[in-house]
Amino acid sequence: MKQLFTPFENVGKNTRLFIILGWVLLLVGFWFVSSMGERHLFPSPQQVWQGFVELYNEGLVVHIGSSLLLCFSAIGIAIIISLLFSYLSTVPIIKPLAKTLSKLRYLPLTGITFYLAILISDARTMQVWVLVVFMSTYLTTSLLSMLNAIPQEEFDHARSLGCSRWEVLWEVVVKGRIDYVIDVIRQNLAIVWMMLVTVESILVAAGGLGFLIKNSDKFMNHGRIIALQIVILAVGLFIDFALNYLRKAFFRYSKI
Amino acid sequence: MTYNMQNTLLYVENLSVAYGDKVIIKDVNLVEKDVVREGHITGQVIAVVGRSGRGKSTLFKALTGLVKPTSGKVLIADTQTGAENDAKEVQEGDIGFVDQKYTLFRNKTVYETMQFALRRKEMTTEEKHSQIMQYLKDWGLENEKDQYPCELSGGQRQRTAVIEQIFCSGHYMVLDEPFSGLDVGNIEDVKKAFDLITASHEFNTIIYSTHDIELAVELADSVYVIGYPTIEGERMDYGTIVKHFDMKEIGLAWKDYGLDHIEVVKQIKEVMLAS
Ligand SMILES: Nc1ncnc2c1ncn2[C@@H]1O[C@H](COP(=O)(O)OP(=O)(O)OP(=O)(O)O)[C@@H](O)[C@H]1O
Ligand SMILES: [Mg+2]
Repeated sequence: MKQLFTPFENVGKNTRLFIILGWVLLLVGFWFVSSMGERHLFPSPQQVWQGFVELYNEGLVVHIGSSLLLCFSAIGIAIIISLLFSYLSTVPIIKPLAKTLSKLRYLPLTGITFYLAILISDARTMQVWVLVVFMSTYLTTSLLSMLNAIPQEEFDHARSLGCSRWEVLWEVVVKGRIDYVIDVIRQNLAIVWMMLVTVESILVAAGGLGFLIKNSDKFMNHGRIIALQIVILAVGLFIDFALNYLRKAFFRYSKI
Repeated sequence: MTYNMQNTLLYVENLSVAYGDKVIIKDVNLVEKDVVREGHITGQVIAVVGRSGRGKSTLFKALTGLVKPTSGKVLIADTQTGAENDAKEVQEGDIGFVDQKYTLFRNKTVYETMQFALRRKEMTTEEKHSQIMQYLKDWGLENEKDQYPCELSGGQRQRTAVIEQIFCSGHYMVLDEPFSGLDVGNIEDVKKAFDLITASHEFNTIIYSTHDIELAVELADSVYVIGYPTIEGERMDYGTIVKHFDMKEIGLAWKDYGLDHIEVVKQIKEVMLAS
């Protein structure tokens, strides 16, 4: 028993499961108890379940699909832009550009939307590009720090094997660090996922989870809101898990 | 043993390297010539010894063209032109280099690493395959063929790094501490590899550093000691060549390790301690 409260103590697999189970039970118990009285902050589990059923009937799956599509197209474009800038940041003349792109993450979202609105009229395209601009700055930041972390010896090793500088870039950075890129996407996913819901609720286009939240907000339907939150969390965690699984499955050497 | 010296293979003049304001090595001068012995193909084996932090690795990076010298130059024989005694300034990739940490491509298995090292060789895929398998067998890496660097032991990584450079480099090869972390068997393997390399072409030149003075004296025909020089009674804080032992001249090169060698080891240690 004492080992459960000792720092740096290793516990067995079963013990670990029990600990997690204990916490989950505690949480669920707290939820039941705190939602029992007349005035309560959280909706009861039944209300949440009902909200979930309602949502499902209104086409929750389609909305999730719509959000995922938006998420993937935005990340897809953003990662291509960021990769291009980060890889080329090894060339002295491009370096300032990449650094600037990374610094732009301090720009407020509203400013970005304002200028994009002048250029783009279609709401869906607008959603994508707001996210792209936003994400590129974060992805570039992470990719640049990944590049910085590559030890000089790895470049020297490639050079000593007669690689030209472009080959060094290709072998050591591009091919040698694909698994890191996946991890960079994974780590920044939480930001996209959070922003995506916000963007969807500001710029209403083809529905999506953000749109649903905004709607539920209007009706003050607590059960629905919590049900949606749970769905959004679950989908986000699932993508996170899938990316991590992909990285480990395809890149055996990847021990990040 | 009789020998004579022909073409200059390595010419280092007034070499100095500084990182920022900090001078690491300075005034390094050395000349190594092609050693020719009747009835033998004799490559050159050059050892560099010196206490930790005196600049051995830095010197090697300059020799291989991986860092630009602050001043001075490194010339190697240009064997492409066909003309005798043609020299050129060293450039990255001219000289194979195994660094102290045995760096490899993290995303290539041992086999893929070898394939990459052979990528420019004019051989068929089958020839490449059999050459790779032969080396892996000789160096005891057969079972690790499909493993990534992060799945290899230190010694296995190092042997992979050495084979890779043997496959890829031309006549010159620089090895930074090739003997550290190896067991007795592996040390014999590396020694054998040295013999094979030097016996396969007149111009082949191996330059290595080691903290094992006995191994330097036993294998090399030229030993350089890097240390802090004492100039006018004052100890400087940059590395340079403080002493050169030409084992050929002393008559100890290409001989089995004996009492005379031990005497040289003692002398080298004295020089090292004083620098
Ligand atoms: N990139 C660098 N920037 C600044 N100083 C460096 C750098 N690399 C090495 N040095 C310094 O240069 C000096 C010589 O280092 P070097 O690695 O050449 O020593 P060494 O003789 O190879 O030592 P060892 O036997 O421990 O490998 C050291 O004092 C080290 O601190
Ligand atoms: Mg060193």
